[in-house]
Amino acid sequence: MSKELIRLENISKSFDGELILDDLNLTIHENEFVTLLGPSGCGKTTTLRIIGGFETPDKGRVIFDGQDITALAPNKRQLNTVFQKYALFTHMDIAENIAFGLKIKNKPQEYIEDKIHYALKLVNLEGYEHRMPESLSGGQQQRVAIARAIVNEPKVLLLDEPLGALDLKLRQDMQYELIRLKNELGITFIYVTHDQEEALTMSDHIVVMNQGYIQQEGSPEDIYNEPENAFVADFIGDSNIIHATMVRDELVNILDTDFICVDKDFGENKPVDVVIRPEDVELVPRGQGTLPGTVSHVIFKGVHYEMEVQAGGFEWLVHSTRMFDAGTEVDIKVDPFNIQVMNRPESEDEEAMVIDV
Amino acid sequence: MRSRIEKIYMGIILVFMYAPIATLIVLSFNGSKSRARWGGFTFKWYINLFGDDKILNALANTLIIALISTVVATIIGTLTCVGLMGLKRRSRAFIMGITNIPMINADIVTGISLMLLFKVLRFGTGFVTVLLAHVTFNIPYVLLAVMPRMKTINPNVYEAALDLGAEPFYAFRKSVLPDLMPAVLSGALMAFTMSLDDFIITYFTKGSGFDTLSTKIYNEVKRGIQPEIYALSSIIFVVVIVLLVTSSMIKGRQGTGAKKKVSLYKVEKKITSGQAFAIGAVTVFIIMLGLYFGGVFARKSNQLFVYNAGEYIDPKVIDMFEAETGIDVIYDEFETLEIMYAKMVQDDSAYDVICPSDYMIAKMIDNGMLRELDLDAIPNRKYIGEQYLESAKSFDPENKYSVPYCWGTVGILYNKNMVEEPVTSWDILWNKKYAGQILMQDSIRDAFMVAEKRRGYSLNTTDPDELSKAADDLIAQRPLVQAYVIDQARDKMIGGEAALAVIYSGEVIYTQRENPDLAYSVPDEGSNVWIDGWVVTKHARNPEAAMKWIDFLCRPEIALMNFDFITYSSPNTAARELIEDEAIRNSEVAFPSEEVLERCDTYSYLGEDGDALYNDMWKKVKSGG
Repeated sequence: MSKELIRLENISKSFDGELILDDLNLTIHENEFVTLLGPSGCGKTTTLRIIGGFETPDKGRVIFDGQDITALAPNKRQLNTVFQKYALFTHMDIAENIAFGLKIKNKPQEYIEDKIHYALKLVNLEGYEHRMPESLSGGQQQRVAIARAIVNEPKVLLLDEPLGALDLKLRQDMQYELIRLKNELGITFIYVTHDQEEALTMSDHIVVMNQGYIQQEGSPEDIYNEPENAFVADFIGDSNIIHATMVRDELVNILDTDFICVDKDFGENKPVDVVIRPEDVELVPRGQGTLPGTVSHVIFKGVHYEMEVQAGGFEWLVHSTRMFDAGTEVDIKVDPFNIQVMNRPESEDEEAMVIDV
Repeated sequence: MRSRIEKIYMGIILVFMYAPIATLIVLSFNGSKSRARWGGFTFKWYINLFGDDKILNALANTLIIALISTVVATIIGTLTCVGLMGLKRRSRAFIMGITNIPMINADIVTGISLMLLFKVLRFGTGFVTVLLAHVTFNIPYVLLAVMPRMKTINPNVYEAALDLGAEPFYAFRKSVLPDLMPAVLSGALMAFTMSLDDFIITYFTKGSGFDTLSTKIYNEVKRGIQPEIYALSSIIFVVVIVLLVTSSMIKGRQGTGAKKKVSLYKVEKKITSGQAFAIGAVTVFIIMLGLYFGGVFARKSNQLFVYNAGEYIDPKVIDMFEAETGIDVIYDEFETLEIMYAKMVQDDSAYDVICPSDYMIAKMIDNGMLRELDLDAIPNRKYIGEQYLESAKSFDPENKYSVPYCWGTVGILYNKNMVEEPVTSWDILWNKKYAGQILMQDSIRDAFMVAEKRRGYSLNTTDPDELSKAADDLIAQRPLVQAYVIDQARDKMIGGEAALAVIYSGEVIYTQRENPDLAYSVPDEGSNVWIDGWVVTKHARNPEAAMKWIDFLCRPEIALMNFDFITYSSPNTAARELIEDEAIRNSEVAFPSEEVLERCDTYSYLGEDGDALYNDMWKKVKSGG
C-alpha cells in the first residue's frame, strides 16, 4: 500500500449542540480515490470541510504529510476543493477563474497562460477562455471548477458531491472523466457522495458513514460483497436483510429453514442478521431448492428481471435473467458463499450507531 | 372612452402630486420677490444663491455629512450583513428586526434620544454629533438594501477563493463583493438621499453654530422665505430625482442580471466601473468644496458664539469683526425670545453673546443666566444715548448686564389703499370690515399688549380678571385674523396680501421702501416701547471676545451700518448724527417723538407665576378658546 498522506485522529464536531462527528479516525493514502459515502447528515461533508480547513474540529487532530494542520487556514493548505454548486466567480471569465489561484501565487503570465490552456484541455473545454460562467451548462461549469482547482497542483483534490446537480447521463460521463483525470494527475481524490453507484464506480477505497460514525471501510468489492452490518448492506445496493439464528459454525437458520454458510465464530444459537444480494438468490422449480415460495411480482429491468417472492413469511427480492411468471411456485436456493452473516446489534446504543433511520 | 377617463384620472393624480413642486420651480425663476406677482423670468435667485456664503457653507456641510455618513454606514452595514450570514436563521431574523426599528421609529424620538445621549456622554454638539447621528440612521437602510442580495450569495464562492490561496479580505473583495456591489451601491444611494433629506434628527443633534441645508432652510422659512430658497429647493429636488433614478436603474439591472446572460453581464461590468468613476469624481468635488469653505473639521480655538434675532445685523459687520479681531464668529439666529430662552436653559454655554429684549433680559438676570459686563472692555458704550441707558434701567437696574442695541415701538402697519379710516386705535383690529386681512404678532407679550392697551390696562398686568378679558378679546378677534405671524408680516404687507398688521416700528422704513402705500401708526391707547440689548451669558466660553463684540457694535460707523441694514432705531446717538438722509434722521417712525413715547411702556419681567399665567392664556387663545 502507498504512503499515508492524511490522518484524522479522534475528530469530534458538533453544531448547535448536535454531534455530527464522534471520535472519527480515518487514514487516507497517496494517490487513492477515496469516497466518503453516506446519507445526508452522516457527517461526510463535515469531514471533508475539516480536511479543507473550512471547519475546525472540536476535538482531535488533522495530520497532513506528517504535519499537524488542524489550525491551519484553508488558504495555507496544499489541497483544493471542488464545490457542489460550482462556486465559480461569476464576474470573471473562465480564464480569470482558472488563473485566480495562480495570480495569488504570483506566477508569471506565460506560466499562467500555459496552465489555463492545459487545464481546459484536460477538462475538454478548449476555446472557452473568454466565456462567462453563466453562459455555460452545469456540467461545463463543474469542469471549470475542477480546472480551477487542479492548476494549483494540489496534493489532494477534495470534491463535495460535484456531480449532484447534474442529470443522470452527464453524471455518468463525468464519472469516467474524473477517473481519467485522477489517473492523469496522479494525485489523491477525496470524494463525497450519497450515491452508492458513483462510489462503487470510481473509488479505490470507500468509507461508509452514518450518523457521525464510520460504518465500514474497504474496496468497493469488500463493501458490496461483505457488508459488516445491516446499514451498509442496505445502503449499498439492494439487499435481502433477514433476522436469523446462527445454529452453529457454518449453519444458519433463516426463516425456520437451515442454510449452509461459510461463516464461523458467532457462537451457537446466536441471533444474527443475514444479507443475501438479490442476484445471489437462485430460483429453481419446486422440489429442487431449500425454501419453498411463490412469485408475486415480476418487472423487466433490461439486464435482468426483478421478482418478488413470498417465502417463509418474508418478501424476497430476486434479480435473475431467468423469468418465472407471477403465481409460479418455486424453491429458493442460495450458495453458501453468498450468505453474509452479520452480528445483530443488541443494546440500543449499538443500534443507534448502526441502524440508519 | 374608458381609457380616456383613465388617462384624465392619472393626469389629475400627477397634477396633485407635482403641482406644488412645479409652483416652487416656477417661483424660483420669478423676478419679483413677492409670491403674488410675476416679475419676469430671472436667474437672479440662482446667482444670489451661489453668492451666499452661509447657504453654500450649509450645502458643503450637508454634502460632507451625507458623503462621510454614507461611506461609513455602507461599510458598517455591509460588514454587518456579512456577520449576520454567520448567524443562525432565527438570530439573524431577530437582529434584522432590531435594526429595522430605527427606520420605523419616529425621527423625533431618534433625534431627541440621540441628543440626550450626546449630552450624557458630554459630546460637544456640532459636526461630529450630526455625523454620528446620520451614520446611525443610515445603517438600517444599507442593511435593508444589502441583506436580500447577501442571502442569494453562495457562501462556497468565498470559500473557493480561500481554497485557492486568497487571504480572507482579498477573498471577500474578489468573490463576494462584486456580486454584492449593485446592492451596496443602491444602499449607499439610499443612505445618501436620507442624509441629504434629514431635518429632524439633524435639528436635535446639531447644537449651535452648525447648519445643514435643511436646518438652514428651516431657519430661513421661519423668517419669511427668500426666493433664493426656492432656487435651492428646486436644485435639491432635481438632485434627489437623479439619485433616485440612478438607484432604481442599478436595482433594475440587479433584477434582470440573472436572467439575461453574457451580453448584459458585460454591459453591467462596464457601467459599474463608470459608476465608480462618477462616485470618485463626486467625492473629490465634495471634499474640495468642503476645503474651500473650510472650518468644518478644524474648529478654531478663538470662537465666539453669537445668538441674534433674524436679519438683525448687517452680515458685513460680522466679516469686519472677524477680519479685525481674528475671532471666528459662529452666528445663529433665533425666531422668538421664548425659543432662545428654551435653548439657553437646555445648554447654558451654547452661546457667548445674545441680543434679547427688555423683559427677557430681566428674566435672564433674575435667573442668574447673565454675566456682568466688563465696562472697561466696552469703551464705545459712551456713544449710547443717556436717555436709552436710563430707560434700560427698567429691566437692568444698574446697566450692569446689557448694552442697548435697537429700540422701537409696536404699532399698526396698514395699506392706505385698503384701509379708509384713520388708524388711531387698536379697535380697528376688531373691525369686521377687515376680516381675513389682519395679521397679528405670533408672540405672547405683543399679542396680549394689543388687547390690554385696547382696554386701557397696563401691558404688564398680572391681574387674572384683566388677563382673561384680554384673552377673550383675542379669541373673539380670531375669526378676523388672517394669521399669527412673525417676520412674514413684512412680506405679506409688501405683497398687499393683508390690510393691517401689528408690527415693530423698525420694519416700517424697509416696508415703505418696497411698497409706498404702507403707513404706520402707534394707536392713541398707547403701546409698547422696547429695547433690545446685547448681553453676555454666565457660562460663556469666550467672554473676552463677547465684550469685544459688544464694543465693536457700539462704534458709531458700525451702528450706522446696522441701522441702514436693519432700519430699526438705534440708541447710538453718535450714529444717528452720521445719518446722511435728513428725512430719515428726523423720521417720526425711526425716532418717535417724546409725545409718542410718553404713551408707551416697556415690558417688564412678570416672574415665574406671571409667565405661567400668560402662557396658559396664550394656549387658550391659540387653541381658539
